[in-house]
Amino acid sequence: MAAPLLALSGVSKAFGTTQALAGVSFDLYPGEVHALVGENGAGKSTLLAVLTGVVTPDSGTIAIDGKHVTIDGPARAQALGIGTVFQELSLAGSLTVAENIFAGRLPTMAGFVRWKELRRRAREVLGAFGMEIPVDRTVDSLPAGARQLVEIAKALSLDSRILLLDEPTSALTNDEVEALLGIVARLKARGMGVVYVSHKLSEVFRIADRITVLRDGCLVGTRPAAATSVSSVVRDMVGRDLAPSDEDARRTPGAIALKARGLSRHGEFADIDLELRSREIVGLAGLVGSRRTELARTLGGLAAPHSGAVEVRGSPIRFGSPRDAMALGVVYVPDDRKSEGLFLSRSVMDNAVVTTLRRLSRFGVINAASSRMVAHHAVDRFRIKARGIDLPAGSLSGGNQQKLMLAKWLATNPGIVIVNEPTKGVDIEAKREIHNHLRRLAEAGAAILAVSSDLLELLAISDRIVIMREGRVVGTVGGRAATEEEIMRLAAGAGHHGVGEAA
Amino acid sequence: MTFGRSQSLAGLDHGRQAFGAALRARELTLAVLIVAVVIGMALASPHFLSLANFRAISIGLVPIAICAIGMTVLLASGGFDLSVGSVLALSSTIVALLLIAGAPIPVAVAGALLLGVAVGLVNGLVVTKIGVNPLVATLGSMLIARGIALVITEGFSLSSLPPAFGWAGRAEIAGVPFLLWVTLFLVVGFDLAMRHGSFFRKIYYIGANEKAARLSGLAVDRIKIVAYVLSGALAALAGVLLASRLMSGTPTAGNALELQVLAAAVIGGASLKGGEGTILGAFLGVIFVALLNNAMTMLAVSIYWQMIVTGAVLIAAVAFDMLVRRGEG
Repeated sequence: MAAPLLALSGVSKAFGTTQALAGVSFDLYPGEVHALVGENGAGKSTLLAVLTGVVTPDSGTIAIDGKHVTIDGPARAQALGIGTVFQELSLAGSLTVAENIFAGRLPTMAGFVRWKELRRRAREVLGAFGMEIPVDRTVDSLPAGARQLVEIAKALSLDSRILLLDEPTSALTNDEVEALLGIVARLKARGMGVVYVSHKLSEVFRIADRITVLRDGCLVGTRPAAATSVSSVVRDMVGRDLAPSDEDARRTPGAIALKARGLSRHGEFADIDLELRSREIVGLAGLVGSRRTELARTLGGLAAPHSGAVEVRGSPIRFGSPRDAMALGVVYVPDDRKSEGLFLSRSVMDNAVVTTLRRLSRFGVINAASSRMVAHHAVDRFRIKARGIDLPAGSLSGGNQQKLMLAKWLATNPGIVIVNEPTKGVDIEAKREIHNHLRRLAEAGAAILAVSSDLLELLAISDRIVIMREGRVVGTVGGRAATEEEIMRLAAGAGHHGVGEAA
Repeated sequence: MTFGRSQSLAGLDHGRQAFGAALRARELTLAVLIVAVVIGMALASPHFLSLANFRAISIGLVPIAICAIGMTVLLASGGFDLSVGSVLALSSTIVALLLIAGAPIPVAVAGALLLGVAVGLVNGLVVTKIGVNPLVATLGSMLIARGIALVITEGFSLSSLPPAFGWAGRAEIAGVPFLLWVTLFLVVGFDLAMRHGSFFRKIYYIGANEKAARLSGLAVDRIKIVAYVLSGALAALAGVLLASRLMSGTPTAGNALELQVLAAAVIGGASLKGGEGTILGAFLGVIFVALLNNAMTMLAVSIYWQMIVTGAVLIAAVAFDMLVRRGEG
């Protein structure tokens, strides 16, 4: 066999005390699609970051064409022929397709852009890979699939021989996915090496020659796609035993608190039926692109559905404003505490009282003493470690910010809580405390919908787990009885394609 | 900016006081600077410490101070208003027109104020409901309001107003001009409202993080519209008071006033980022700039130099703030 195009051996990288990669080896041959899979936090992103020169490994070697190389920055990666298409696109939306493909490398003469030449070259690049995209359109005016192709064309125009694709289909429709997979097959036929990172195992099995599974920063194994199955890949990805969910008092779900029927939003999700009962935590699972966040935001009143109905305690509701939703006892706790959750420049107290200002005011004047009391009470109840309630919320640690965010919305005593990634970026101790808060809240009678990409979290707190894929609910499993594998299989769509059986 | 003092847990006080002090630093610094200018000028010029001079300074700063209240509220909410100078001019011509047409004084004044409310309402609706950037929206209304004032007067001042209308501009209560009383009343009232009023506290939340404010159940659009209406109404009031003092409606009044107002509010601690600023701070900013200009006039510094100094003070105030914050971060 020919020498590998790319070979990593024994690559390790630690961030603080977290071992993001531990002795990982990976190789790629010309004309091969090599898929890289693993759960969130398995080390895929770090591996890509190493290959693109964003992160320097602590140890290990990288060789291209058998020659040892050091990738000390994105420019170096480009010079070595490594092209990358990241999950978050890096295009300038108001510029044309041609300008984007040759961003920073526009053909010029005496300081003036040679527009004709630019368009000709852009057409050449797109044509070479069978992409039919008008080069004079602005990127903003293109559908998501075409934008993804422009990004790929941009990477290819740099004479790349190695293409890294990070979740390339997460925002695409089925037709667009087909087009993209067609392009990847063509690149492969031309002798390029493609590293394909995706959550969607059905795609991975269609396109990949070999599949490498990472888990907790370690290499689990590399196998030819033909010699493995979806269920064995899922088992490799999940790997560990289920952590026992602790001190979970038996809850008996009560009456239906929120009922969604036939809920749809164009381009996001369709025909969603969902019930939340009081004294119940329902987990909502789904991979990137499953639209679980869009559904949660709609239920939380941030967006109005295009069709379908939501009933809160029997009366039909037309959502569309968080303020109206809150008046009905529905709160949405967002996943991004910095941009949507907290007022980082305002004090802990200001954050703790914002949702209950009306109750703390008389004749339009805020009662300062009551505000302080409410804030102190919130800090105690949620065990928020703050050196003072007059310090800005931004001075707290991530876990304490997360707890403050919960305190802020739970101060309204909501009957229905929709919480998105309740423990995003917090340490284990804070995570445990937050889980216990959610459990206690449910025991006290609230209906909770917890959206999370962390399956262990959902298994630990949920009474049942609803699984979404590509904008639809594809199944519901019992919270206690379920396994990660079962959920992953539903979320990744293996059952849908008839590949693999239950382990 | 804190909700007042109360006995708090021991050990927490150190951080709290340090933070509170940092927040109040701008007002304190300005107060010290103002005292320094007064003392310095008292020594430098025999004419400075006279009742006549102080009266002139205080009457001169009334329009800027009143407009600065609305501007600070808007800045705290994350918006701003370039139309205040034009609204002031339009309001002064409208009140004059109505009076000349024979309208009773209260009717004429109410008409001018309603006009300010209307401009503010349009600004607020265009910004919140259509989503036009506040700079563009209020730049547009600034040009339109000024244009209307010039069109209806054909560029001339409207004088020969009924003598009774001049009362507000001339009257003194306890030796202090009525205009200054009005200004002080508004400054104190709005300062307290911004510190303790539940409605105005929401302004700071919106300025600090509009998305989070919306998700926290605040009626963001409605509150922002009220802030624009307030700014328009206050600018119109300033226009009425100016007309009363000058006994004429002047379509060219308040030219570039919006920039002086903005400068004073920012010197006083408001930020274009939103989420901060106090009415007291803005008022001290207005006083400081007015004193500085007066001092330079007394010292026979050319009017052109005064602009340069005001500009330098503006940049120095903001730069100082940035440096202090960088030190903390």
